Amino acid sequence: MDLLERAPIELKSWLLNWLGSFGVPEWILAVLSAVTVIGTVIGVFLGLFALASVLERKILARAQNRYGPNRVGPFGLFQPVADGIKMITKEDLVPRAADRVVHFLAPVVMMVPALMVLAILPYGRDMVPAELDAGILYFFAVGAGTEVAVFMAGWASNNKYSVLGAMRAIAQMISYEIPLVIAAIITAMISGSLSPSAIVAAQGGFAFGFLPQWFALTPWGFTACLLFYIGALAESNRSPFDLPEGESELVAGHLTEYSGFKYATFFMAEYVGMFAVCGMLVTLFLGGWQAPLPFLAIVPTWCWFLGKICFVAFTMIWVRATLPRLRIDHLLAFAWKFLLPMSFAAFFSAACWHYAGRGPLAWLLSLAIVAIPYLILGASFSDRFSVSRRTYQFSE
Amino acid sequence: MIREFLKTCCADPSKFLGDWFVLLPATVLLLAAAASVVMRNLIHAALCLTLSFIALGIVFIALGAEFVGFVQLLVYVGAVAMIIVFAILLTRPEQLARSGSALSGFGPAGGAAVGFLALAVLLGFIFSSPLAKKPLPPPASAPVAAIGEALMGDHVVALIAIGVLLTASLVGAAVIAMEDKP
Repeated sequence: MDLLERAPIELKSWLLNWLGSFGVPEWILAVLSAVTVIGTVIGVFLGLFALASVLERKILARAQNRYGPNRVGPFGLFQPVADGIKMITKEDLVPRAADRVVHFLAPVVMMVPALMVLAILPYGRDMVPAELDAGILYFFAVGAGTEVAVFMAGWASNNKYSVLGAMRAIAQMISYEIPLVIAAIITAMISGSLSPSAIVAAQGGFAFGFLPQWFALTPWGFTACLLFYIGALAESNRSPFDLPEGESELVAGHLTEYSGFKYATFFMAEYVGMFAVCGMLVTLFLGGWQAPLPFLAIVPTWCWFLGKICFVAFTMIWVRATLPRLRIDHLLAFAWKFLLPMSFAAFFSAACWHYAGRGPLAWLLSLAIVAIPYLILGASFSDRFSVSRRTYQFSE
Repeated sequence: MIREFLKTCCADPSKFLGDWFVLLPATVLLLAAAASVVMRNLIHAALCLTLSFIALGIVFIALGAEFVGFVQLLVYVGAVAMIIVFAILLTRPEQLARSGSALSGFGPAGGAAVGFLALAVLLGFIFSSPLAKKPLPPPASAPVAAIGEALMGDHVVALIAIGVLLTASLVGAAVIAMEDKP
């Protein structure tokens, strides 16, 4: 089992040793070592993307009581191949009035942060491509590039739907980034480090011999995990926060004027970004690569990490099948009036939990600090949004 | 030649980082900053400014100030650049054309004169300050934990003061935005 656990690392060092035996110079090996890691990570995530693109349609179809893709290959599993061929052979249209350079650069700029954030995720024990002191900060700093890309795409298309979609997307991303970052900072505060591997290590061990000490299993951690999850849905423009691409009002938002491979690049970047943010959620709150029960620790850690990512991604698809799309003012009000105060409450709750000694008393105290604001905020919202005759504020 | 270059950078990364990793983004930074001033199209200028923010972040990281570099990217690319873009999109082009700055009558020569005057004043203060006479301290890498301890220890008053200031501005913004409520 230990062999399987270390398999990726051993395979890499075996490959490098094998090449070294042919007298390949040291510096080529150093470059190759980096390239193998980068290639593996990108390969795994592109594989996940291909899998997700078909499974998402399958799951949505199941939720809507229909079949979904089932013509290409067994159970429609080769659908991504067919999609890929279709996308590449499609004509690449650029509107005449578009800003050609920016229009071309937008999908490229979109792809770069999506791939770069993968560098700091701990994929398993001793498996971090780039061990950074400020890994979490890196994740959000690089992720900021996505907003620029969305804006470039929307503006360069020279289409009103594109600009409106891009502006919605940016407003949404900026609003939801605040609760997202605060939720992440809480875990950094409790584990005393901004490094993802240190945060995973802080969630190791089992209470009473069987209960994992993941942050999501404490009152403040549960709140912060839900806040991060909602923020992650909004950041990756997924339903119910997919109004930048709301097809009933904006055609396809900033993607309206993209076709062929450029569209596929956007699509790919969005899915890889979704998996990256799922990986961050798993790292911060769900114990990273740690096994959920002691006797399950025989399964390799990287399997646990990938499994947890897939589970979180599955719940995102499930949410998409369940919830209707929000309206833009509801969306922003939800971020500023509910998520932001709740994230402060979770922050305070985590601090109290830490200083009250992390025992049962601390647990109750922290639960109270999270639950009371939740009930108050919830009550205030249900009062305002009670069922009544609709009054139109802006149109008569 | 490329082989030699790669050889040095793999054998001694610090040598490589010391030179090219700073010079290259610094060049991009200067070019992008110049372009953002010269460009006629406002959006292109804003995008060039964003590029210069990114290059500045990379310069910080290459110089060993990891934390400052990431914060530079997070704050300037993620927030400031987006606010600039929003401001441009929400203003009508004719408004932009009509509004001239106070110095617009002086033309490029006046602008250059003001710029050089400001530069001269800044340089004068920089070189006359006592800090300029001190010998350079050895380059220190600042781990994030050390920055956190310094902020929470020696500089905690400044940190709290900035917190109060930001809260005040946030409340102010909320009050201004709330104006049209009945």
